Amino acid sequence: MALYAQPPTSYSVPTTAPIEHRFNPYSDNGGTILAIAGKDFSVIAGDTRQSEGYSIQTRYARKVWQLTDKVVLATNGFAADGNNFVKRVKQRLEWYEHAHHKPMGLKSIARMIQTILYGKRFFPYYVYNILGGIEEDGSGAVYSFDPVGSYEREACRAAGAAQSLIQPFLDNQVYFKNQQPAPGSAPFVPGNLPLSTILSLVVDSFTSATERHIEVGDGMEIYVVMNRGRNTDDLLGPGILAESMHVEELGALGEGGGEKTFLVTSPLKRD
Amino acid sequence: MNSVLSQLQPPAPHLGLDQEEDEFTSSDPSAWGSMGGFGNLARNGGVQGMSIPRVNDPTAFLDLHTDNMSSNPEAKIKIAHGTTTLAFRFQGGIIVAVDSRATAGSYIASGTVKKVIEINKFLLGTMAGGAADCQYWETYLGMQCRLYELRNKERISVAAASKILSNIVYQYKGMGLSMGTMVCGWDKTGPCIFYVDDDGQRLKGDLFSVGSGSTFAYGVLDQGYRWDLTDEEAQELGRRSIVAAGHRDAYSGNTSNVFHVRENGWEFIGNYDVNELWYEYEVKKKAAREAAAPAASPMAVEA
Amino acid sequence: MELNGGSVVAMIGKDCVAIASDLRLGNQSVGVASNFEKVFPVNDKLYYGIPGLASDVYTLREHLRFRVNMYRMKEEREITPKTFTHLVSSTLYEKRFGPFFVEPVVAGIPSPTPLDPHPRPFISTMDTIGCITTPKDFAVAGTAADKLYGVAEGLWEPDLEPEDLFETISQTLLNAVDRDALSGWGVVVHLITADKVVTRTLRARMD
Repeated sequence: MALYAQPPTSYSVPTTAPIEHRFNPYSDNGGTILAIAGKDFSVIAGDTRQSEGYSIQTRYARKVWQLTDKVVLATNGFAADGNNFVKRVKQRLEWYEHAHHKPMGLKSIARMIQTILYGKRFFPYYVYNILGGIEEDGSGAVYSFDPVGSYEREACRAAGAAQSLIQPFLDNQVYFKNQQPAPGSAPFVPGNLPLSTILSLVVDSFTSATERHIEVGDGMEIYVVMNRGRNTDDLLGPGILAESMHVEELGALGEGGGEKTFLVTSPLKRD
Repeated sequence: MNSVLSQLQPPAPHLGLDQEEDEFTSSDPSAWGSMGGFGNLARNGGVQGMSIPRVNDPTAFLDLHTDNMSSNPEAKIKIAHGTTTLAFRFQGGIIVAVDSRATAGSYIASGTVKKVIEINKFLLGTMAGGAADCQYWETYLGMQCRLYELRNKERISVAAASKILSNIVYQYKGMGLSMGTMVCGWDKTGPCIFYVDDDGQRLKGDLFSVGSGSTFAYGVLDQGYRWDLTDEEAQELGRRSIVAAGHRDAYSGNTSNVFHVRENGWEFIGNYDVNELWYEYEVKKKAAREAAAPAASPMAVEA
Repeated sequence: MELNGGSVVAMIGKDCVAIASDLRLGNQSVGVASNFEKVFPVNDKLYYGIPGLASDVYTLREHLRFRVNMYRMKEEREITPKTFTHLVSSTLYEKRFGPFFVEPVVAGIPSPTPLDPHPRPFISTMDTIGCITTPKDFAVAGTAADKLYGVAEGLWEPDLEPEDLFETISQTLLNAVDRDALSGWGVVVHLITADKVVTRTLRARMD
């Protein structure tokens, strides 16, 4: 009798599960950003692919933004939050310039970004930020942030989809982690690499990430911020950049303190 | 629970919970005038406009989307987490020692985090839990302590400073802040440590360790702790405890920052590579073993 | 995989292969042992590594030891890396609906045969149920897999001589596990050439 006690499941089980409705304002748009500080310059880079799941939304979306003549900001995570965040930061910088008749300095922008991010502690911006540029003393600097505003000054940082691929490589090549100088040779000095070396590390990082991560590719934008009076031959000189790469100098945003910002673009694989 | 709480509590000075905050339509000139660029501080020094999602239960919303050490480790927004910190009082003042690792899941996001926050020349705060929560509110605490000094023409006591912090976090209780911090300093009463955490707990004590590696740190700390430790012994005990935690706990390590608080303020003792120290201690342990074991003597055997 | 932690990497060089693992065995966040090797020999030209759940690592190793011994007795010859890969794969697929929680990596140099007098170095890797991939450059597995991919992609190049391959695989594993909380606590590298195997334990971070 027990056999007949239960009707066959095929037609008795309701086929519709309850539909869940909840507020989900976030999405992940992939991509990766990276910044490395030099002695008197700073390099801030990002790829240009924007994706959602397995689909590419666009092959060119900007993730790296020139804020002032000596500061560049890279954003990664949820693109809508990132764009709105940059818009707010730029507006605050404009207000500051109207009030104080000078552009905001790098370390002040870093602190301001903390307060803006923390202001949304209970409704966070899903954005990882890396800020790069020239400090007041003329040194290159990189600041990295978490989505709710904790930040730290560093010499190099990768964030975004391929951060776990790129960061250990940079630890090895920029901080010389797990390396020893050959007996008798000069000790390694982290944070003092020449621009040409850093540029090739950035290019290698992105080509590696493109190879192994589906959300990275299409193209990259590398911003190079140089301190005033610095020689530009190691960027603009012949044979420095690969054939496929293109470089342009970005004009001064403000009155121009002599710092120079260059935008280097290069294609990445599109598959 | 939260709705009951919000009915009972007066609106916090830091929160604009009830007024819907919109920076672009805000009429307060402090937002864009001469104070433009002062972040989210209002003119009265309070914190302005913590935006809250317009949902029935903001806490559940935050829990769903962030990995606040708890229910949802797979969430998209990974908030940097802090890990092993300790502080203890002894004859020569206070030793504060911390590690420097921040992890997001199993990924080591940073090995160079400053987990001791210098509130002012006499006060230190430690960081465990959400890095941003500790950094932000302890910086804010620094401002409040300075205002206290200007108003009262004397330095704030550690008890009062820690109470400012615990009152702030109590106002946000149940909303998902994550912090376990030790406020350490020297005031009229001498060296003093207060433990303050995200559910509003505030405890005075001689010895604390906070974070995922705290159990390992306590093990070393408890067996080596005495009130009459010399300065060098105390600093070494702090360092050794962090190394023990950094070794055993996957989420602690990289480097150790050690601070010493004395009557005339705190002093930074140094930044030490946990791994290098671990190998040093292994060499010493091996040497001690060899010294202690008597030269292999033939075992006495009864005839 | 995240219960015990651990990672393995293998790389191809010029007439040589290398395979390396970390030495950590953990119970989630707590490190328990720093001598837990995840790479085992099949013979003096063939090694394999199995990162994953520690109990399955031991069980699978014994399973494979039994099957390789049976193969040896029946065939009266040593198993080739390719055949061994398929042996591992079918062993894993037998447990298709209750898998071993391991991701094996195989590395070896096939012996010359009349049909193939100049065999090339061989590596392969599988998922938990035995789907085989045979890369021409490197194979990674374990909790630090994504980090290993990044560093290996940046450091590896074709036709590395044995000592250069050793340096490359060592740097790859050391730097990858230093960004992974669940791997590390020591590193062991096996460098396999036609005439010998060199095994080195490296001074790695212990935090």
